[in-house]
Amino acid sequence: MKEEQAVLLYILRRVLSAISVVIVTLVASFALFFFAPTDPAGVICGPRCTPERVADIESSLGLDQPKVEQIALYMKGIVAGREYSTGGVVRHCDAPCLGYSYTLGQPVTKLIAAALPVTVSIVLGGAVVYLIVGIMAGTIAAQVRGTSLDRFVVGSTLVVQAIPYFVFALLIALYATFLPDSGYHPFLDNPFAWASGLLAAWLTIGVTNAASYTRYSRASMIEALGQDFVRTATSKGISRRRVVYRHGLRAGLTPVVTIFGIDLAFQLTGAIFTESIFNLPGIGLLTLRAFNQYDLPVLMGGVLIGSVVLVVMNLVVDIVYTVLDPRVRLG
Amino acid sequence: MEPLIEEAELARKGAPTDPIAAPTGESVKKVDTRRKSPTQIALARLRKDKVAVICASIFLFFILIAIFAPLLAKLEGQDPTTLNQNLIDRYGYPTVAPNGEHWFGVEPRLGRDLFARWVYGARPSLIVAGSVTVVTTLVGVVVGLIAGFMGGWIDRILSWIIDFVLSLPYLLFAIAVPAALLAVFVGNTEAAGNEEVASVRFYALIIVLSFFGWASLARLIRGEVLTLREREFIAAAKVLGVPTRKVLFKELLPNLVAPIVISVSMALPTYIVTEAGLTYLGVGLTEPTPSWGLTIAAAQSWYRADPLYLWIPVAAITILVLALSLLGDSIRDAFDPRTRR
Repeated sequence: MKEEQAVLLYILRRVLSAISVVIVTLVASFALFFFAPTDPAGVICGPRCTPERVADIESSLGLDQPKVEQIALYMKGIVAGREYSTGGVVRHCDAPCLGYSYTLGQPVTKLIAAALPVTVSIVLGGAVVYLIVGIMAGTIAAQVRGTSLDRFVVGSTLVVQAIPYFVFALLIALYATFLPDSGYHPFLDNPFAWASGLLAAWLTIGVTNAASYTRYSRASMIEALGQDFVRTATSKGISRRRVVYRHGLRAGLTPVVTIFGIDLAFQLTGAIFTESIFNLPGIGLLTLRAFNQYDLPVLMGGVLIGSVVLVVMNLVVDIVYTVLDPRVRLG
Repeated sequence: MEPLIEEAELARKGAPTDPIAAPTGESVKKVDTRRKSPTQIALARLRKDKVAVICASIFLFFILIAIFAPLLAKLEGQDPTTLNQNLIDRYGYPTVAPNGEHWFGVEPRLGRDLFARWVYGARPSLIVAGSVTVVTTLVGVVVGLIAGFMGGWIDRILSWIIDFVLSLPYLLFAIAVPAALLAVFVGNTEAAGNEEVASVRFYALIIVLSFFGWASLARLIRGEVLTLREREFIAAAKVLGVPTRKVLFKELLPNLVAPIVISVSMALPTYIVTEAGLTYLGVGLTEPTPSWGLTIAAAQSWYRADPLYLWIPVAAITILVLALSLLGDSIRDAFDPRTRR
């Protein structure tokens, strides 16, 4: 009973801390962008613009209000939605409202909802590649530890890890012309087109990240294979293959899975290079475009979504790990 | 005095416990450990490590290029900003191959000398990465020391800030923050000159990378300090009435040399890549600053017509980062007895 209470208390503390991080991020990024003396109305209006038109746009976006009220409005928009009126037309932005894009004239939430599946497809597909390649290479290297094959695997992971990711991705994009053209097609429309359009991105993410997973799973497997239960299993006459892949791998994979959870969260927010180089319209490319066009609401929406994804993923990893491994809680 | 560390190594034949380390069971570099500090032992090991020596020389080579960039450009007889329009045909293609006058040829479209831009391009990479490494190391060490040693509410606040910074999507912020900083310092971006924007972007990049970089080191140092502070020599110093500042910097800090050196050696290549990557995306440095990331971004559309234009900066950044990463691995192996390969 006491044990369960401790777990619940730990989870509650983590959830509260996660919420506090999200709120501080929200306020900090809002302050950063909206206290800066920018001129969004001028950006929307374009170069040939009358002062009346600018004033009109400012009032429709609520930019003529005091800054503190703007923050309150923005917060209210997230919780309850808000109204925008442009030139007599009132548009309702449903909760959670992150505002309207200055340049695209669409709600930020809609843009993000369109971009999120792209990023998720890229990251998950890439993860499948590097998990399979990395864990297989690591497991094999662990079994032949100290041989020239092992040294070759470790040496090549060092080299692959040291190549700058964007350079590697760029060279793949430019020279690996035998791969199908990159582009995003929704999975439900045509699964085959979806896969072939993302193949180059998956392989790039897969190869570069496989290096670190090879090293993690190799070290982890070496440790697992040195444990007593492996010796017991071997002495019971179980085949080597079964000992390694059933007994060893199960124990050896737990730390790798934890690292994977944290990595995945970061990749979901950081697929910017992949998206930009392979021209895939995900969250990263959306944010980059917003940066170039000074589209503050989209920029902020991207940052917020990224923070929330990261915080939630970290929370899930922590909680799952606590439930699986009671020793963690002591830390 | 007995060479304790070597003995401990020989005794240690069991499984490795560090998840990042990848011991291949290679023979350990034997060095004389008598009457030497751990740092001296590590440096002696490093000097015997061929890979480390080669990588360090490559790093030194690039530092020299960056320092003597004006001299090298003068030697060639060119500078990084002159537009040699006479060497460009009307489609923008350069009409000269690399020759005695233009060692790496000229840029398509603008006709600037590529060798001069290449040697000057080493500067922002190393300056940005170097200053970010210095700032993050200083802040990380100080925050980690204070949080770990003081404990109580100071620790709780600092730990929350560390967790907070670590849970921000830094790439997205790296895109967003320079936009805001630019608005604060330059005001109207369209009216401002290129030079002004370029210099604000330069500092914005350093600020952003520093802001997100210190937290992981602070967490590492805090963890180390938490175990160190229970040791007898700290208790002894406290009993003797040594002031807290002295305990922190004279007693604790010397014991943290290994993690700090390892973290610095890992940070430097990471920041070089980040600088070049962000610049490549168009959110880092901007023209007219000569930068490898900018050259790569500009050269990618000419990769068929003028492959040298793309490959020279690509080769430079890959070799530099590869050398620094391998050097970092060697340094970690030399300084951290547990993770030696």
